[in-house]
Amino acid sequence: MALKQVSSNKCFEGFQKVFEHDSAELKCKMKFGIYLPPKAETGKCPVLYWLSGLTCTEQNFITKAGFQQAAAEHGLIVVAPDTSPRGCNIEGEDESWDFGTGAGFYVDATEDPWKTNYRMYSYVKDELPKLINANFPTDPERMSVFGHSMGGHGALILALKNPGKYKSVSAFAPICNPIQCQWGKKALGGYLGPDASKWEAYDATQLVKSYSGSRLDILIDQGKDDQFLSAGQLLPDNFIAACTERKIPVVFRLQQGYDHSYFFIASFINDHIKHHAKYLNA
Amino acid sequence: MDLYGSKDRFDIFPEELSGRGDRSLGDTRRDSALSSKKVQRPQEVGYDLEKEVAELAKMYGLDEDREKDLEFLGGHLEKVESRRPPARTEKAASEGSIYNTSKSSSSVKDPSQSTKQQGLPDEASQGENQSKARADDEAESNIWSTGGLSSGGMSDEWNSQAVSEEEEEEEEEEDAADVFCSTCKIPIRAFDKLFGEHKDHEVAQLPSAVESEKEEIHKNMCKLEEQIAQMENVASHLEEIFITVEENFGRQEENFEVHYNDAVQVLAQKYEEQLEALGEEKRQKLEALYEQLVNCGKHLDTCKELTDETQELFLENDKAEFMKAAVTMVDRLEEFLKKEVDLELSTLPDFEERVIDVSEVEQLMNSINAIPAPCAPMINPQAPNAATGTSLRVCWGLFSDDTVECYQLCYKPVSNERHSDEQAEHTLKVKETYCTITDLLPNTQYEFWVSALNASGISPPSERAVYVTAPSPPTIKNKKIRSCENAALVCWESRDINPVDSYTVELSKLIDEENDDIITESIVGIPNCEVLIHLQPTQKYHVRVRAQNLGGSSERSEPVLIHTTGTSFYLNEDTAHPLLAILDDGFTISCDELENPECDLPVYDNSFTRCIAILGSLIPFPGKHYWEVEVEEDTEYRTGVAFENTPRHGHLGANNSSWCMRHIITPSRHKYEFLHSGMTPDIRITIPPRRIGILLDYENCRLSFFNADLAQHLYTFNSHFQHYVHPCFALETPGILRIHTGITTPPWTQK
Repeated sequence: MALKQVSSNKCFEGFQKVFEHDSAELKCKMKFGIYLPPKAETGKCPVLYWLSGLTCTEQNFITKAGFQQAAAEHGLIVVAPDTSPRGCNIEGEDESWDFGTGAGFYVDATEDPWKTNYRMYSYVKDELPKLINANFPTDPERMSVFGHSMGGHGALILALKNPGKYKSVSAFAPICNPIQCQWGKKALGGYLGPDASKWEAYDATQLVKSYSGSRLDILIDQGKDDQFLSAGQLLPDNFIAACTERKIPVVFRLQQGYDHSYFFIASFINDHIKHHAKYLNA
Repeated sequence: MDLYGSKDRFDIFPEELSGRGDRSLGDTRRDSALSSKKVQRPQEVGYDLEKEVAELAKMYGLDEDREKDLEFLGGHLEKVESRRPPARTEKAASEGSIYNTSKSSSSVKDPSQSTKQQGLPDEASQGENQSKARADDEAESNIWSTGGLSSGGMSDEWNSQAVSEEEEEEEEEEDAADVFCSTCKIPIRAFDKLFGEHKDHEVAQLPSAVESEKEEIHKNMCKLEEQIAQMENVASHLEEIFITVEENFGRQEENFEVHYNDAVQVLAQKYEEQLEALGEEKRQKLEALYEQLVNCGKHLDTCKELTDETQELFLENDKAEFMKAAVTMVDRLEEFLKKEVDLELSTLPDFEERVIDVSEVEQLMNSINAIPAPCAPMINPQAPNAATGTSLRVCWGLFSDDTVECYQLCYKPVSNERHSDEQAEHTLKVKETYCTITDLLPNTQYEFWVSALNASGISPPSERAVYVTAPSPPTIKNKKIRSCENAALVCWESRDINPVDSYTVELSKLIDEENDDIITESIVGIPNCEVLIHLQPTQKYHVRVRAQNLGGSSERSEPVLIHTTGTSFYLNEDTAHPLLAILDDGFTISCDELENPECDLPVYDNSFTRCIAILGSLIPFPGKHYWEVEVEEDTEYRTGVAFENTPRHGHLGANNSSWCMRHIITPSRHKYEFLHSGMTPDIRITIPPRRIGILLDYENCRLSFFNADLAQHLYTFNSHFQHYVHPCFALETPGILRIHTGITTPPWTQK
């Protein structure tokens, strides 16, 4: 599990770095971005995992979201992995932007030819935290997860499927109910097979309905002018309704005028960092 | 200053000491003194050494035993003496001071002796002195046997101490004793212990015996020093009394002189007057008597004349002639005899009854002791803190040394009304030059004047002085206390009609839950009935107020307890909409119906007219303030903050002077709005909060709402509040809101 530093840039008295390593789970080289706040030089810090959306690499978030200042202030290590295995030479992996490369969907694939490499759920849940905890001054007991779009879906399912593992969860325009939307149907069908009942294990709205773990405080921001919202890809209302019924505390903010872009993320990233810091630094 | 030669002692000891110190250098005088076995009395050192030596030699000639002791001297003396000087120096010093005050007969003896020796250095006196010295030796030896060096045996009197010292020295020099016989109480030679009469006696090493003895002496010296200090005190006190007596008697002498002179003058005048009157009476009496005498003589002459003529008539032989003459004569005689002869004394020889009027003198004599009526006393202006709410301490004084038996103090309340005469005037008789008058009204001006009285009469009244009683303790408005972690706003009301000068707030920080009333801080000079006090977080304080005026400060008000655990405010009833009711706890508001059928509810100037709302009164203090509102799930409400002057006819949140969270129940869901200027973000909350936490953070320019049960952040207004804001609460459906204050700001509200 050797790490190779790809880049390192000083940022708000800490460092924004990119590392490359050989992933056992994904059977390929993977990169991830990691922000080390100044506090990490003297002590252990909690880790906040960011999951990016479709088509993204580890670069999008670290270059566009502008989270480093807030992370430095709150003393959080922020890890941003890639969104899928890359260079696995699987047939069809680069055919479309919403499936295969850049669209791992944070599931463990069960279907050929994806099931060997496309194990993003296990990668993010187990391998990556182990790697991070082994190589950086982290407090393994304190971790949280958040993400955008497909990453928002990933964050929600990770939190809902692993009660207590994550101190908090939040999302920007998450795909809340993938079994009901086009993106989800395509990806889940591709990775998990045609049996839709298997998909439910990776559907946040479905997972909420059976959630009975420790208390979660979910923050969701959604741009009102998000084209994917109106296209029915995100379906936050279904998730809200399920949470309301299951009494899962959610604050869902429909932000007037914002779209699906990183400009929207950058506008509210501080609120999310603060939301996680509240639980990670409690 | 000292009649008893202490100076000698002071001088002598150092000299002697230096002599000892120099001994190794071959001080001849010292050597000679030693070799001659002199009984060295300190007083005698200054004395002619040759004579001394001779005298001593003579003495020792009489005492064979001492000759032998000389042999031992060389070996022990040096050791013994080397230890002695410090003690002696101290002793000499304290002895000198003892002489200043202690005048015991025993101490008189020695100096007089020494004076005699120095004054009369002839052989006769020498001999006398010598024998006397020997007698002393014997006497001292007796003391040795009773007091001596034994511990606790030391006499309290200086005499025996001093003598013992001398004796001790003497003994050492002569015998070179090295052990101390506790039985005989004398130092002896170790040799004696082994073979001599002290064979069976208990002995101690001489150094240790010396040490214990020194300790004992030192103890006694301390006692003496204490006594000296005491005596000095007494002496200075006596001196004062001495001066006072002198002054007083001098004054009385003058007084007597003046009055007796007066009396003598009056008496002299009386004497003159009496003498004159007496002379006049005498002259008048004499004159009257003389006149009577003259008349008597005249009468006698006439009688004699008539007798002569009658006798001549008898000699007339001529009958006719005789008859003629006889008839005339008889007529003349008859006529003469008819005249009454005044034989009574025209005046009495005795004095007229004279009343000697000595009343004036009497008065004068009396007035020698009963001096004239005193002058008007001078009343002092009011001293600070001489008043309480119901009492005043009035002081006055006299200009002169008049004798005063008592004072007559009058007072009445100062009144601006014209009928001030109707105000009861009070009069008191007071012996002292001060008086504490009680049962007065608080914070009220009283006019005082005072006259002095003695047997001769009453003085004119003093000027009038106005005193004012201290105010009544204020009453802290318990329900109007606002506080937060770092401050409290306390207000109170004065119980007096008249205004007071200022107020003092006293803070007592309560530690360890004890009712610890130590004042930890005072704020003085507060002009209004309100003060903002800076406090420390998470403490308990007792706050009390005093009112202050010229007369002093009032009693403390009843304390109020302030916890600085969180922010506490109260609901401002003046702002309440007529349909909004505050329940007894003061923090629950309720609304039973949204429309009043009668529509004629009283509306106050400051109350909300449209929104069924009320404002709280929050402490105007920067920093953080947190409170919670308990709501029913089916109640529609608005809650947040607003400027004090937020429009009363509008809805909270609909304007730019209020910020609030609104709960609306729609057919499908609970809807939450976060309103300011009528605008709200679109926010969905999956769990309707039952307890809303509100954090007002002036410093970070934010107002946050939380689901306090879940520690869930709901929304934050980022706004720089231009003025201080107040909590606001409104009901939009019938129901209740419970407000909780004084809550520690939960950690999860921090950013």
